[in-house]
Order: sequence, then C-alpha cells, then structure tokens
Amino acid sequence: MGTVTLGENMEIKEELIKKSCSMAMKAHKSPERQYLSKKIKSSSSEVVFSFAGSWSANDWFAGNSFGETTVDLQLFPSLKYIGLGVTATANEVFLKRFKSVLGNPQFKIEVRKAVADRRQVVFTGHSSGGAIAILATVWFLEEYNKQSSPLCLTFGSPLVGDRIINLALRRENWSRYFVNFVMRYDIVPRISLCPLSSIEQQLQQVLDYFDQNAQQPPHEAPAFYEIVVKNASSVANYAACKIMGSTNPLLETVSSFIELSPYRPLGTYVFCTGNGKLVVISNPDAVLQVLFYSSQLSTQEEEAKVTVAQTSLRDHLNYGNYLQEHLKMPIVTCLYHPHPEALSLSSNVANVDRGKVDMALNDLGLSERARLCLRAAEALEKQKLRNQATIDGKQEDIDKCLGKLEAYKIKCVHKVGYYDAFKSSDEKADFHANVERLELAGIWDEIIEMLKRYELPDEFEGRKVWIDLGTRYRRIVEPLDIANYYRHLKNEDTGPYLGKGRPSRYKCTQKWREHAEQLPNEVPGSCFWAEVEELCIKTGCQGTKENILHLKTKVDKWIQDGELGNDVLLENSTFMKLQKQHFLTNLSQDLAF
Amino acid sequence: MDSETSPFETSEVLATFLASTPLLSESWRLCNLANANSPQSFVAQQVGSIGYVAFSGIQLVSGSDPSFKNLVPLPVCDAAGNSLFDLLHRQNEGEDPVLVQGALLRIFENMYSNPSFRNQMCTLMQASKSIIFTGHSIGGTTASLAALWLLSYLQSNFANLSVLCITFGSPLLGNETLSRAILRERWGGKFCHVVSKYDIMPRMLFAPLDPIAPHIKPLLQFWHLYMNSPHFGLLAVQLNDESKAEIFQHVLVQLGRLVENGEEAVTGMFRPFGNYFFCSEEGAICVDNAASVIKMMHLLFAMGSPDCSIEDHIKYGDYVAKISSQFLEKKSFMQGELPESSYEAGVALALQSSGISSQEPVAKPAKDCLKAARRMGRTPNLNCANLAIKLSKINPYRAEIEWYKALCDRSDDQLGYYDTFKQREASKRDSRINLNRHKLARFWDNVINLIESNRLPHDFHRRGKWVNASQFYMLLVEPLDIAEYYRTRMHSRKGHYIDNGRERRYQIFDRWWHERNVEAGKNKRSKFASLTQDTCFWAKVEEARESLDAVSSTRDPSHLALLWRKIDSFASYAKELVESKQVSIDVVAKNSSYSLWVKDYDELKSQMMQFRPQFSSFINGEIVP
Repeated sequence: MGTVTLGENMEIKEELIKKSCSMAMKAHKSPERQYLSKKIKSSSSEVVFSFAGSWSANDWFAGNSFGETTVDLQLFPSLKYIGLGVTATANEVFLKRFKSVLGNPQFKIEVRKAVADRRQVVFTGHSSGGAIAILATVWFLEEYNKQSSPLCLTFGSPLVGDRIINLALRRENWSRYFVNFVMRYDIVPRISLCPLSSIEQQLQQVLDYFDQNAQQPPHEAPAFYEIVVKNASSVANYAACKIMGSTNPLLETVSSFIELSPYRPLGTYVFCTGNGKLVVISNPDAVLQVLFYSSQLSTQEEEAKVTVAQTSLRDHLNYGNYLQEHLKMPIVTCLYHPHPEALSLSSNVANVDRGKVDMALNDLGLSERARLCLRAAEALEKQKLRNQATIDGKQEDIDKCLGKLEAYKIKCVHKVGYYDAFKSSDEKADFHANVERLELAGIWDEIIEMLKRYELPDEFEGRKVWIDLGTRYRRIVEPLDIANYYRHLKNEDTGPYLGKGRPSRYKCTQKWREHAEQLPNEVPGSCFWAEVEELCIKTGCQGTKENILHLKTKVDKWIQDGELGNDVLLENSTFMKLQKQHFLTNLSQDLAF
Repeated sequence: MDSETSPFETSEVLATFLASTPLLSESWRLCNLANANSPQSFVAQQVGSIGYVAFSGIQLVSGSDPSFKNLVPLPVCDAAGNSLFDLLHRQNEGEDPVLVQGALLRIFENMYSNPSFRNQMCTLMQASKSIIFTGHSIGGTTASLAALWLLSYLQSNFANLSVLCITFGSPLLGNETLSRAILRERWGGKFCHVVSKYDIMPRMLFAPLDPIAPHIKPLLQFWHLYMNSPHFGLLAVQLNDESKAEIFQHVLVQLGRLVENGEEAVTGMFRPFGNYFFCSEEGAICVDNAASVIKMMHLLFAMGSPDCSIEDHIKYGDYVAKISSQFLEKKSFMQGELPESSYEAGVALALQSSGISSQEPVAKPAKDCLKAARRMGRTPNLNCANLAIKLSKINPYRAEIEWYKALCDRSDDQLGYYDTFKQREASKRDSRINLNRHKLARFWDNVINLIESNRLPHDFHRRGKWVNASQFYMLLVEPLDIAEYYRTRMHSRKGHYIDNGRERRYQIFDRWWHERNVEAGKNKRSKFASLTQDTCFWAKVEEARESLDAVSSTRDPSHLALLWRKIDSFASYAKELVESKQVSIDVVAKNSSYSLWVKDYDELKSQMMQFRPQFSSFINGEIVP
C-alpha cells in the first residue's frame, strides 16, 4: 500500500487520501445528513467523518464585510493568543454550521466510539465542508487531546479563521494534523480574501455552477476571478511588505483606508500543480503568498483570462480525478525542508536538488517576485527563532534578580513583611529592591511587546520553562508593584489596581499558567495585597467585614499553593492590622506564625 | 551591512500594494471629473467610508510671477485669525522658515476662503472615517496644502480621522524646512505623489524658470485645454517644437546640475516631501527619501524627450489604468539572470518596474539611488525593542531621584526636593542626582531624535508604555530642571523658564499625554499626589516670586496693577491646586519656595489692606484707573 510523504514525520496512506476525497465529495449528495462516517475496510485503523458543503451564499458569509466573529472559548478554549487575551476569529456561518453538527448527539457518540476502539479519527470535507472538518478537528483536539491524534484532510476548503487560530494550533503542536489540498487555480480557498460586498453579485451564480456541475462555467467567471485575485493581491502584498520589514509609513496609512481580510491559512498546504506534482508548504505566510501568486496569468490576453477564470471554477470540482490519477506515483516537493539554503529566484539553476523545487514552483506559476516573498516568509520564521534565543538568554538575568528579591523577602520577615517594608521604603534595601523590580519590569515588558508584534515563534507561549518563570516572577514581584501603586496613590488617578492599574506583564504570565494547567480565570494570590488595600480604603463601609472574612478563607489556600508567603500573617502587616480594626483576629491565628 | 537591516527591498512591493487597492483609481477618476467639470474648483464625493476631495488641475495662476520663483512663508492663521498650519511652524533654531510657492498658496487660500469648500469639508468630515485629498497638476499642490491644513487642524483638536493625499504630476510646493517639518510631524506617510516617467511638471521647479518664462504660459494653456476636453485640446493648440525642446533642455540641465552638486545645492530651494510613486508602463515603485527622489526624477527624465515630457503630464489616466490591472498578470524578469542576494534581486525588480531596463546607461546610477534610499540600520521595531532595554537600564537612575525626593520629603529642613536641589552645595549626593538628571535627559532626547528621523514605529507615541514612562519622567525630573535653571540664574539672561528655557522634549511629552484617549473622570484625591501634576508649577512659583518682589519697587500704577493681577491669578491657581491635592507634599513643606511665597504674599496683602485700603480692589483683580 503506497504512502505519500508530506515532509518530515508526515506520511499519509495514499488510500486514505483517495477514500477521504471520495467521501468528501459524496457528502455533498446527501446534504440533509450533516455528516457521513465510514470505517476504512482494508486497513482497520481509521474512521472517516466527512461533511457536506453548502451551495447557498448565505452559508458562506454573514454579517460584516468578511463575516468573521470571535470563536466560542467554551467550545474552543485553546483558540486564543493566551497572554494578551486575544480571542481568535472565525467565519461565523461555518461556526454555526459546525455547532449544528455538534448538536447532533449521534455525531458525538460515533466519535467517542471510534476513540474507544482506538481507531484514528479522520475528518474530511470538500469546499465549505472542509471548513467544517477543520472546526471538527479542533473540537476533537480540545476534547480528546491526550487520547488520540486525529487527521484533517480538506479539499478546496475556504479559509476558516484569522492568524490567531493558526498561531494557537502551532502553539499546541496541533498544526501537523491539518492537511489542505488545493488545486493550483481553485478559486474557493481565495474567496475569503475578499469582502462580501465585492463579490455579492457573482457568488451565488458561482455556487450554483458548483452545485449543478454544469458543462459551461457561468459568464460571470472572468469578473469573479478578477475581483478575487485583486483582493488576494492586496492582502498578499500588504503581508509581503510586513514580512519584508517595510518601514515606510505610507503602508500603515494606506492600510487604514481599506478593509483587508483577516483570514489566514492554517496547517499544511498541499498545492496540486495541475501536471501531477504536489508542493507541500506549511509556513502560513508562504501559503498566503502562493495563494495569490499561483493564480496569476502568464499573459495579459483577454482569452487567457477567460480560460483561467473557467479553470479556477472547474478546478474546484476536480480533486477526485486529479488525486486518483496522480497519487500513484506522486512527485512531492516540500518547500524549505530539505533545503536549508535560500530558495533560488530564477528557474535555470544547475543544482539537481534545487532544480526539483524550482520545477515545482514553475509549475505553480511562481514568478521571481513570488519567490522573493517565499524567501521573506522563511527569513521571518528564522528571525523569530533568533528573537526567542535572545529572550531565552535573559532567563539568567531574571533568575538573578528574582533571587535577590527572594532574599529581600526573607530578610523582611523579621519586621513587617516585604510588602509593608517596600511600601514605606525607609531603607536602602527597599531602594535596591525597587531597582530590581524595575529591571525585571523592563525585561518582561519587552517580552510582552514582542508578543504583541508577533515577533516570537508561535510556540513561545506553550513553553513550560517560561510559564514557570513567569509564575515565579508574578508571585514574588507583583506585591511590590501593588505596594508601589498604593504608595504613590495611583489608585486615585487610575482607580483600583485590579481595574486598570495591573500591568499586562502580570496578566499575561497569569494567563499562561491558567491555560497550561487548565485553571479557571480568577484573581490570583499575587493580587492579594491589592484586595487588602481596597478593603483598607473601605474600612467602616458596609460589608467590609464579610469581605475580609472571605479574603481570609482564600489566603489559606493561596499559602498552601505557594501563591502567597505566610509573611502576610505577620503581626504588624497591613492585613493583620486591617483585621484588628475589624476585631477579626483570634489568638490561634496569631500563633500560627 | 548591519545584520539587522531588512534584507529585502520593498519599494516595489509597497507600490504594488497601493496599486491593488481602489484608492489610486478612485482618486484619478475624481481628478478627471474635477478637471472636466469644475475648473478652478473642486469635487467632493463620498465613496464607501472614504471622503474624496479632488482639486481641479485647471487653476488660474496669477500672472505677476510667471517664473514661480516667489517663495512665501506659510501663513500661521487665516483671515479670521484661526490658526492654519500652526504645527509646521515649530522649527528648530537656525532653520529657515517654512516657505511655499506663492502663487500655489494663493490658489489654496482662495479655495479655503470659499464657504462652499468649508461646508462640503464639514459634511464630509462628519460622514467619513477618512479623507483623501487629490489633484492633478496644479491641483496637486492645492491637495497637499489642504491635507497639511487638515492634519494641523486635526492634531490641534485631537480629532481622529485618517488623512491621505494623492497627487498626480504635482509641481513642487515648498522648501526644505517644509519637507523636514512634515517628517518631524510624522506625516511623510500621508503624502503620495504619483509621478510618471517623463512628466516635466513635477521637475520644473527644480530649475530657475526665468530663462524660459515666456514658454510657461502657453504650456499651461495647452495642458489646461487638454484636461478640460482631451479630444478638442490636442487639435486646438500645438506648442512649437523649438519651445518644447528649449523647456526640456533647460529643465534637464538644471536638474542634472542640482544632482551633481549634491545635498548643499538644495537648501533654500524647492524640496520634495512625502512618498513619490514613480510609475511607468512596467509598474511602479515608492520612494520616500528626498535625495533619492530628486535623483530618480533626474535619471528617468534623462531618458525622455521634449515631446513625451509634455505629453506624460496628461497621461496619468493611462498609467493608473495600467498599473491598477497589473495584479492579474505574472510579471517575469526578462533581463537576464537575477542576482542571488534577495536584496540585490529586489532592487533589480524595482528597477524593472520603474521602467529602466538593465541595458540603459542610467540603470547603474538608478540602482545606487534605490540603495541609498534604503533605510540603513535597524528596523523601527528593533529600535523600539532596544529602547525598551535601554529604558530598563536607566530606570534605576530615575528610581534614585525618587528616592532622593522621598529623603528630602522626610528631611528636617523641610525644604522639599525642589529647593534642596536648587540650593545644593557641593555634596556628593546632590551631584549624583544631577548626573542622573543628565543621563535621563540624554536618553529621552535620543528617543525624540529617533522618532523625528522616523526610526521608530509610527504609533510609538501612542503606546501606553512610552507615554506613561515619559510622563512619569517629566513629573519627577522637570522640577529639577527648573531648579537648575533658576539656580544658575539662566532666567536673567534668557528670560523665564516656561517661555524660554523649557526643553522641547517636555513640550512633546505634554502633547503625547494629552493625546491619549482617556475619559477625564477625575477622582478626588484623599492625599497629596506623589508628584506635582503641573510640571511647570515651580517655574510659575519663580515668576510669581519675581512679581511679588517687584511690587515694592514699582511706582507706575498701571504696571503695579499688572503685577498684582499676575500675582493674584497665580495665588488662586496654586491654592486650587493645593486644595485639590494635585501637588506633591514637597510643595507645601514648611520651608519650600512656595510656602515662603505664600507667607510673603499674605503679609504684603494684609499690609496693604491695613495702610492703603483703596488698593484692595487690585487684590480682587480689577483694574483701577
């Protein structure tokens, strides 16, 4: 039985691809059923679920210009940029259609059974059915992450969501489960790059053509093709300026005047050149460029445009035939992987290995300009790794500063605890602690800034060493920031610390830990002092006593978890004074220390 | 090469991006409309959420200055006294004033004083999220001036509206100071001048036009007729070949001389600003380095001929149509092997798009010119990341000053840190603080320098981290700068601090702080602020002290009245500040300059009440003749 090798560690059985493809096409025939499922007989290990697409324009776009909405974090808890709290967006209608599949109890039962039987679950779909398959796979990964690895095979799927989805999949190391087959000219994967308003008139005609599988593509085809490629050109060229590091301020001005699609590719793409070759690309920036450049015409003649425009529609229905014909002896080329050296720009290069890549790129119609963009996409990826190495180099500095502050904390136990000592700042040691605090803030703020600008590898937020360091940092230093905040009365300008006063370096590190350990999002122990300060301000108000009691119950747990040191219970600490003011101390607790 | 310089050439990719948007073709469509239907006027139209204002290229250029050599200062305010362009006037010492071509300015002023223009602007600004000014030929300079006016207006009014100016074949507008002022305000990215390969109009003002003055008027007439009705125009007038050749040669020679003489030659003359979008049959590139723009103008022009230099000015429609549809076609590089280096390859491709084939003799200098335009050094984001590291390194110096302030606040002499620092003698601690003050100033001056040379991200001054850090720095350290100013008696030489001694960085930080988008929900303070919120408070104290001291020696009653008005207004201002606790504790320290001033003020006032009750009216701030 043949397998198709798609890059390192990635082999898929030829039969599985064909089977999935034919099931994906078959699903269209019974749209009343939300999905089809089938065990592959000859090889006992997979169960394939395929989803039908839809040929109604209303099932492709809804609402605003690109029809996107933020995903439901209950359903997809991983689909976010963790530290900065950015939730991914995805096509609203696709989400809705997936949810209705999920609403079918039979679906969940069958999936559960497949997992219980230790079969590999494969989700597949053609056209917008592919989008449903992608969402189903993400849902499966959230649900059965540790138990079973799924596979998602799509054929001519539109784009589903923004860059955050792709980032999250890579962070969770799930990206490798997604494989998208795209015929060189297939228009559908590019449709999501246009605002609905620009294609409203032609979209339904085009979908009708797909539905009826008529001989002749509709006469709107050339106009439709032109609009889609034009929008793809805007998105790709804007992205190219970004990945090439353009610093011209005109770029930002112009982009604020137009709407650019938020959708980005995810997972691995397998482009079918049209003459039997498969080109595998898993860098999302590169995929975006190929989506645009491979749809360009080789001549400007009107006739060529009409032909290509018709091909762009016919190709969408051609996956079955193409794969049937060419999977037997596939010529697979992986961009980047076997060639660490730069991609060549022109097509006549002697080197045999590189020659193979070149041929494949030629078959995709990629010009010199396209190749430059692919180089830039790769260079950016490398730059991110270098940035990460720089940041990793700072772990030592962070560790040193944290060590000093931990020593400071221990030293202060002999008096009132480091929170109160720092807040009154009477001694030189307090001043030095402040310098350490500022130095750490500098390093962490830098990391946050880099995250904001997507300058670190997507995997960064999933790395245990940083999650742990972040937690240690938050626990020891945040109380000092709170002390500083209330010492300088910033609460009277900005409101309570927990409102707008809390720096994002703490919110971010807290979220990393919560995501890694699947904890609920709540006020952590490192913010304990902020609650105390607010209660001090409210001394005498109604309900304060109850709030103090409530806080006390949390303190024990925090001390147990290591979120808080037991120096908060020192005799003269602000917390104990607060309790005394409200006559809430009893002897047994005083003796606890 | 600096390893952190971007290894890619983006002048072409950026141009391709712009060409793939509808902005260029929409702008041209409206320019065309304005040329055909609204001579000497403009067309305003809303397309989607964008408001377009297109100025006609057919404008009456008043005859008094046929050679366009007359540069005049850009006005500060309009006839009604409203400020115009005020932000552009903040030039540095030793710089020429901002000058623009007089006749072109007059066209804008006429437009601006037209009530219909203002009404339509108001309507557009209310209905649109963004405004594009555009214009062909002389309409282009009007569009530039209108954009500068609106940008100044928006910035002083803290309004949020995107502005872009797209001109087609616009003549040059102003001098180098204007070009630099636009860079300094970070508006370079808001101007995109589309210039075709051979068009003589954008190049004309580089040459002194006196020798060819008699030819200019017929040339303009020819263009105007064509713009108004293309078919009729071509038949009606034809310029004779000799005068065409004369104009072409003159501009070519002068432009060549200018390029040869290099940078120095352009001072005091016209200077391009913003982005230049050079378009040809092959594509387009964007260049925003002024020196490279001038060189590219020359190199492209040198490949042209008298005829095409004049026809190209009216061919923008063709160019725009061509480059707006280029996205469809795969553009291959047919001129031999591309270099392997990404950067060199990018330059070769850009050259192709600018319409220079690699066989042309100008190919080599044009390549050099594009390379010179490349921004050397790190990308803005990297600069910004490095600044963040530097900030965390200098923060300890700031912390030390904070610590100094806290010690002063607790000290027995009850002077506060302002007066302690002002009266300091050679103590080690005070001189360390002074050193820190210098280090911090150096850091922040460098930040401003980086911004103004466009080496930081475009939204740097809106990033919370930097706005807050600069504000905190200013709150803490500016009082020390004031103390140093008055300690060294600079005020007796240069005048008072606020008007004559305040560093530019503080004015900039003030602007950043006020431009934040925050709701002004003021909470009442329960204790004194940790730092005085008015950073110039101490400078005001010093001025009030001078006025108070002057009272006893002044005999002139009208001057005396003036003094008292100043004194009283400060007294009530300061009182309010203290009562609302917007000052730090050091202001009200027993022996601070302010406390001493209040004491003297109260004394003087009670003396006056006692001995000269008729003067009580001064105290209430009224004038007694």
